[in-house]
Amino acid sequence: MSALLDVLRRHFPEFLSGFFVTFRVVAISLAIAISVGTLVGALRVAPLRALRWIGTTYVEAFRNVPLLVLIFISFLGLRRAGVGIGPWVAGTASLGLYTAAYVAEAIRSGVFAVGKGQIDASLSLGLTYRRTMTKIILPQAARTVIPPLGNLLIAMIKNSAIIGASILALPDLLKQARILQARTFQTNETFFWAAAGYLVLTLSATFVVRRLERRLAIRR
Amino acid sequence: MAIAPQDGRLVELEGVRKSFGPHVVLDSIDLSIRRGEAVVVAGPSGSGKSTLLRCINGLEAIDAGDIRFEGQSIPKAGKGIYRLRAEMGMVFQSFNLFPHKTVLDNVTLGPIEVKGLSRLDARARARALLERVGIPEKADAVPADLSGGQQQRVAIARALAMEPKLMLFDEPTSALDPEMIREVLDVMRDLARDGMTMIVVTHEMGFAREVCDRLLFIDSGAIVEDAPPEEFFRGAKSERAREFVDKIIHH
Ligand SMILES: Nc1ncnc2c1ncn2[C@@H]1O[C@H](COP(=O)(O)OP(=O)(O)OP(=O)(O)O)[C@@H](O)[C@H]1O
Ligand SMILES: [Mg+2]
Repeated sequence: MSALLDVLRRHFPEFLSGFFVTFRVVAISLAIAISVGTLVGALRVAPLRALRWIGTTYVEAFRNVPLLVLIFISFLGLRRAGVGIGPWVAGTASLGLYTAAYVAEAIRSGVFAVGKGQIDASLSLGLTYRRTMTKIILPQAARTVIPPLGNLLIAMIKNSAIIGASILALPDLLKQARILQARTFQTNETFFWAAAGYLVLTLSATFVVRRLERRLAIRR
Repeated sequence: MAIAPQDGRLVELEGVRKSFGPHVVLDSIDLSIRRGEAVVVAGPSGSGKSTLLRCINGLEAIDAGDIRFEGQSIPKAGKGIYRLRAEMGMVFQSFNLFPHKTVLDNVTLGPIEVKGLSRLDARARARALLERVGIPEKADAVPADLSGGQQQRVAIARALAMEPKLMLFDEPTSALDPEMIREVLDVMRDLARDGMTMIVVTHEMGFAREVCDRLLFIDSGAIVEDAPPEEFFRGAKSERAREFVDKIIHH
């Protein structure tokens, strides 16, 4: 027990800096995932077939390639092709674009869950298709989409560790733990604190999502 | 702007056809409705009653024929269709109130978004309409807090807030418990008495007898009867309509 606390006490700065690198990776990837995912989700339900096709292609491409392969492509592949990007961009873009495919699917099902009667009612008042989307459908879809988005966020926090374990060598929580482990050989202790750090992130995410869900709930 | 026809016809359908895939739902419908008329549409399930209403306000595009509103053909798409819809109100069987908005916001949405009314004016109009449908005290409630009958009356107020020239009702009382049917029908009857032009799909034959000027009977996508209600009940021409009357009378 004392060994456990001892490791944390002695290496707190390293753990803390790893924690914040992971936090930043997640925050940036989340911003990418939500914005790209919403856009792709909108394409998936667009009234034009060509737009739907673009959305579907994106989803199938990014959902069916392993995240680790995306990281290799973006970091090494692009470098070979002459467009070198740094590990931060490669990591957050891979994680963000990968998660965006799932976000798009969640938004699509949220839109479908709203029901055709809502569209009819809005159109019958004379609202345009676009206004119907922004005023009636999306605000309701956003609310039904919060719980699945919460699950995606938690999955993303955990998936972010792949970045730390990969060639990118970003000094995130897992990477810091690996460095400490190699230095101190206190394997169980270092990885215990890494796990605790991830737990703090996922539990906070769960808490925030639950709050949001309760605040925005629509009674039917 | 098209000039309204002098003979007072508000809606005209000419050879209207509509199919879903191979299934013909409306088969060369001719119909004309004058200003101030209240018309009830009845017919068996699947005969095309809802589709008829949805074609009139452009929620479904027709395959052939012509639908004119105030002498102007209903466009297939584009800005024109939105402008025309704003002049017709529609009330649905399942109410379709916006669950994420209060009653007042449901009623002000159209006037603010479509007609560009100020929030203040829209709210004043909405409160007056809620008064008219008998639930002024529910302005700040959300739809989930209302009974079915109250929800449907809000839906009527929402449609009226656009000051429509025509009201379309698609089985407005079919989803309601019996004790709530009356309160909705009363609102509709008052509306008809005030001279609103309306097309009402309903099986409430008491309402038809008391309120409407004409009763249309639709079967398999064709209008097989078009008569004043008394005449319809006394002696329908078609077999199908007579069966229908029998069933209703013996219920
Ligand atoms: N969007 C659609 N796609 C395919 N078929 C449809 C669609 N809408 C209606 N139909 C079909 O068209 C026919 C007529 O439907 P409609 O809803 O107009 O009938 P209705 O007279 O209103 O019936 P009900 O009394 O059950 O409401 C039905 O056979 C129905 O299955
Ligand atoms: Mg119907």
